[in-house]
Amino acid sequence: MKTRIALLGQPNSGKSTVYNALTGSRQHVGNWPGKTVEKNDGFYTYKGTKYTVTDLPGSYGLSGNSDEETITADFIRSGQADLVCILVDASQLERSMFMVAEFAALDKPAVLLLNMMDVAKAQKKEIDFKLLQKRLGIPVLPFTAADGKGYGELKELFARELEAPHKLSSVPESADNGSSAQAVLSQSQEKYRWIGAMLEGVTHTAAPEYKLSKFDRIATSPVKGKFLCLGVVLAAFLVAMIICVPIMSVAQMIPQILFEPISNLLNGWNVHPWLVSVFSMMLPNVLYFTLSMAAFVLGVNLAFGFLEEIGFLARAAYQFDGVLSRLGLQGKAICPVLMGFGCTIGGACGTRIMDNWGQRMLAMAVVWAVPCGAIWGVIPVISSMFFGPVGTLLVCLLILCYMVLMMWIVSKVFGRTLAPSETRSGMIMELPPYHKAHWKHILREAFLKAWDIFRRALGTVTLVSLLFYAFSFSGTGSIENSLLYRVGTAIEPVTRFFGLGWQTFMAFLSSAFAKEAVLGVLNATFVGQSSLLEATFFSKTAVQDNAALAVNMVQSISKPEALAFLFACTFNVPCVMALSTTYRESHSLKWTARVALFYIGAALILACIVYHVAVLFM
Amino acid sequence: MKLTDTKPDQHGLIRRIGGDAHFANRITAIGLTEDTEFQMVRNDRKMPVLIYLRETLIAVNRTDAERIEVETV
Repeated sequence: MKTRIALLGQPNSGKSTVYNALTGSRQHVGNWPGKTVEKNDGFYTYKGTKYTVTDLPGSYGLSGNSDEETITADFIRSGQADLVCILVDASQLERSMFMVAEFAALDKPAVLLLNMMDVAKAQKKEIDFKLLQKRLGIPVLPFTAADGKGYGELKELFARELEAPHKLSSVPESADNGSSAQAVLSQSQEKYRWIGAMLEGVTHTAAPEYKLSKFDRIATSPVKGKFLCLGVVLAAFLVAMIICVPIMSVAQMIPQILFEPISNLLNGWNVHPWLVSVFSMMLPNVLYFTLSMAAFVLGVNLAFGFLEEIGFLARAAYQFDGVLSRLGLQGKAICPVLMGFGCTIGGACGTRIMDNWGQRMLAMAVVWAVPCGAIWGVIPVISSMFFGPVGTLLVCLLILCYMVLMMWIVSKVFGRTLAPSETRSGMIMELPPYHKAHWKHILREAFLKAWDIFRRALGTVTLVSLLFYAFSFSGTGSIENSLLYRVGTAIEPVTRFFGLGWQTFMAFLSSAFAKEAVLGVLNATFVGQSSLLEATFFSKTAVQDNAALAVNMVQSISKPEALAFLFACTFNVPCVMALSTTYRESHSLKWTARVALFYIGAALILACIVYHVAVLFM
Repeated sequence: MKLTDTKPDQHGLIRRIGGDAHFANRITAIGLTEDTEFQMVRNDRKMPVLIYLRETLIAVNRTDAERIEVETV
């Protein structure tokens, strides 16, 4: 029985909306064999039969301009789909029918979905879909993917067509089958001529007459537009925070509520203290961290889902394409990059708006260089202990300058593989008209995403926490008994070279766990009042005695050491939650690990340079 | 004249598309073919040009836009 359906369409055709609505959470993400292109498969059951749906990569055509187009064409040609569902934008029918014209040469069973009928109706466009259906010889269904209706009818259509499929009865002909530029131009012209013939009397394509709306006049202006975009992204970030803060504050109570009952219970059973602290301290904190992370992902996806759906993201991409193309990135990457100042997790999951896997991974690697909100909370505290208010301002400026440099270095190191120069072509993109937001759809996608991240990250975060836990556990509660102390002091001669003593090196290591932990660990190592474990795991909730820290730290380490430490922590790998998100978003352990190792190495080298240069001046 | 030489709100016809086959593929897939009518919407220095054609607002970077010969009407 034939049950394999593939979705084909240009960017902005609403393909992923249909895919998500059909399959819900029954999705599998992998890679196309040998390629860094994401493969999305999902399934749904209709009338007792299980159907698989493949979401083909979005592209404007099928002529092999990119990996995506080659994969898509090969996949359809090989007959791995029994039915291809082509989506076109009903509000720009002539242009988006180009995909149908490209598909025609492959001669496979298909149905045509006229998506965004709501937009076409709002533009008072009439489409005689029955006439189009007669001309094409395949079923044509008017549709509005985002309003969640009509999916029953769609599934019924799929079932019927899989039983008795139809192929296009008319295909564009071309005299020149070559692959020279001239041949391509005449083939395309032939395709549009065919589209014109198909649409004759079906719909009316208006003569070009366009007036930018007042808002768009600002959004596309060279200077004002950039400020507007920055403002909107900032607002989106605030909205994301407003959404996630209540969830975070509830999650924050988990460790405190669970700590005593669990430890009392386990102590009563005479369980080994190591296990007691794992269950009473570590696991509730892992739950708290992961919940906060999911809350953030939810907020970011809601805010960005909205901006993407209404069509604003395309304007931001237009504005920042020039700057970001120097890093090998598309203009769209401006959103995750700015998001990174708030939270690297937000930045990493914001990269889902990128067009392909390579761009996504590169954007995540670049976002890692952006110091997050948590580290911005640490820098001034430590910096002011050593350099005073003016010095702190200078330190912050230095960090921002280095951030730009680091982004450039990362793009140079990884860009060649992730975004090879032949795929880096200048921007040719559509700025879609503003759409009304379909909130039900945005909410659904955001919740699915957040739940997915939570479910998958729980394991990763637990594992990493357990490792750190084992290293920092001390039977007596004092730091000298922990493995971390022994290792730290043993390799101190080496870390000294990088300008880090064992205390700061430990804080450097813990900054990879949670940036907030830095102050707590410094407190534990310099002041010695709290244990390393509590310092790390209760870092987001515990009250720090920064005055005592200032006295002890300034006595123990020199200014160059402090500066080296600040740089090392800021440009170390992001926290384990951000690492985990990167892994979940990229589906590549290899690349996440590769970039992480690069960051750790780069942070140590940076510390070394900063220390040795600073020694000359301070 | 080149596409980049047209002024906002000017209408025209695309006359000749230069460049290699890869570019020809990309630019025609989004809707620009020879003899297509268009309207220049925005042409600012150092920014991609914004043109309107086939009922779509399209941004084309300047380097590529210079490869497109047009005729204003």
